[in-house]
Amino acid sequence: MSDVTVHIDKVMQELRRGTITIGVLSQLSEPQYGYSLVSKLNDKGIQVEAGTLYPLLRRLEKQGLLMSEWDTNEARPRKYYLLSDLGKQVFQQLCDEWNGIVSSLDGLLKGEGGKKNGSD
Amino acid sequence: MEVIERYVYAVTQRLPEKQREDIAIELRGLIEDMVEERSNHESSKMEVVKEVLIELGNPKELAQRYRGVNNYLIGPELFDSYLTVLKIVLFSLLGAMGIVFIIQSVVYPVGILDHFIDFIVSIVSAGPSAFGWVTFVFMMVEYSNKDKAQDSKVEKQWEPSELPPVPDPKLDIKRREPIISIVFYVFAMVLFLFSSNYFGVFVFNEEEPIRVIPFLNENEISTYLPFILVILGLSIAMEVLKIIFGKWNLKLVVFTFFIHLITIIGIIILITQTSFWNPNFMMELTEAGIVTKGSDGYQVINQIWTHSTNWIIVILIIGLVIDVVSGFVKSKKG
Repeated sequence: MSDVTVHIDKVMQELRRGTITIGVLSQLSEPQYGYSLVSKLNDKGIQVEAGTLYPLLRRLEKQGLLMSEWDTNEARPRKYYLLSDLGKQVFQQLCDEWNGIVSSLDGLLKGEGGKKNGSD
Repeated sequence: MEVIERYVYAVTQRLPEKQREDIAIELRGLIEDMVEERSNHESSKMEVVKEVLIELGNPKELAQRYRGVNNYLIGPELFDSYLTVLKIVLFSLLGAMGIVFIIQSVVYPVGILDHFIDFIVSIVSAGPSAFGWVTFVFMMVEYSNKDKAQDSKVEKQWEPSELPPVPDPKLDIKRREPIISIVFYVFAMVLFLFSSNYFGVFVFNEEEPIRVIPFLNENEISTYLPFILVILGLSIAMEVLKIIFGKWNLKLVVFTFFIHLITIIGIIILITQTSFWNPNFMMELTEAGIVTKGSDGYQVINQIWTHSTNWIIVILIIGLVIDVVSGFVKSKKG
């Protein structure tokens, strides 16, 4: 593995760690169980492993951003997670923050990118 | 399938009891979902399960993610100091016991095999307990740091004016000072534990084997041993704190002062017990032919011997006063 990929991997890991929470919150205005959420996020291009997501869901629930309920009617019992009122508020504000970051960074990258590769 | 149960168990047994059942059900469901999705006719169910479990990762790591925070016995901040102290203590223990072995072999060469067995036995018995105690001291420091870290989260407002001043380099504790002290205390421990009978006057005589007239009362020393070990242990703990802090501050000064005070009171109580000292010391000296009863030399040594307790007390108290004054000066600067 070259130095470049090592560095990129590191930064990407940190970036993902921060964005996954927003991604998760965004999908939970409807109840979802863990694995359906993994598939959904992966389908939309957010790479997340079940081993990361399941503990994250529990942490968010503990923090009061999510509510959960067991559904025992199906063949196997599943724990469904849903945004709490607090979670909804937090998600709204996080969206604003995220848009702020995107536009600021866009501004930076366009200034810089203009010199380096004109195509973008 | 049994391997799934094993995996679920391996994860949940590392978690707090209250969460175990809930997480177990969820995890089982997840694995079954993943297996079902990936099942095809080409590979057996066993292979698919294996693949899924590998993807979920090492149960230790998964449990770690569920727990969230790292639980350290001794965290990375302290780990370097811990290794340093551990090395010092273990090596000086080994060194001290080696010296005891050599002295024993010189004094009584015929029993060299017995001395060697003693040497090995004492390493096996004292090594692990030294290791344990050092670890225990560091564990307590780590534990008290953890509380502080949680307190600081509660602090609402951070005030730049409340920043502590950058400490004076004069307040640095030179690492070699506590290291030398620890080596000294470990040697003292070994002396009392394994060879208090060699703590005394060595009588060399050409015709006879070397004879040692001990200062301490060999029959009673075992009664005092726990007491002595606590005093020395406290002193070592204090030196360990100096290594960890690396700088003098008011807290450390106060703390070391109290430990000094406790150890000095302990030592005074110890040495004023008449049964602590060898009651036949003067008699044995005369027997060994070092002094003759009634001579001037006998008088002088007798004087020194009977008053040595008082002198030691005076020296200790002077030491304590110096400690208080220098501690006060240091805390003023810091």
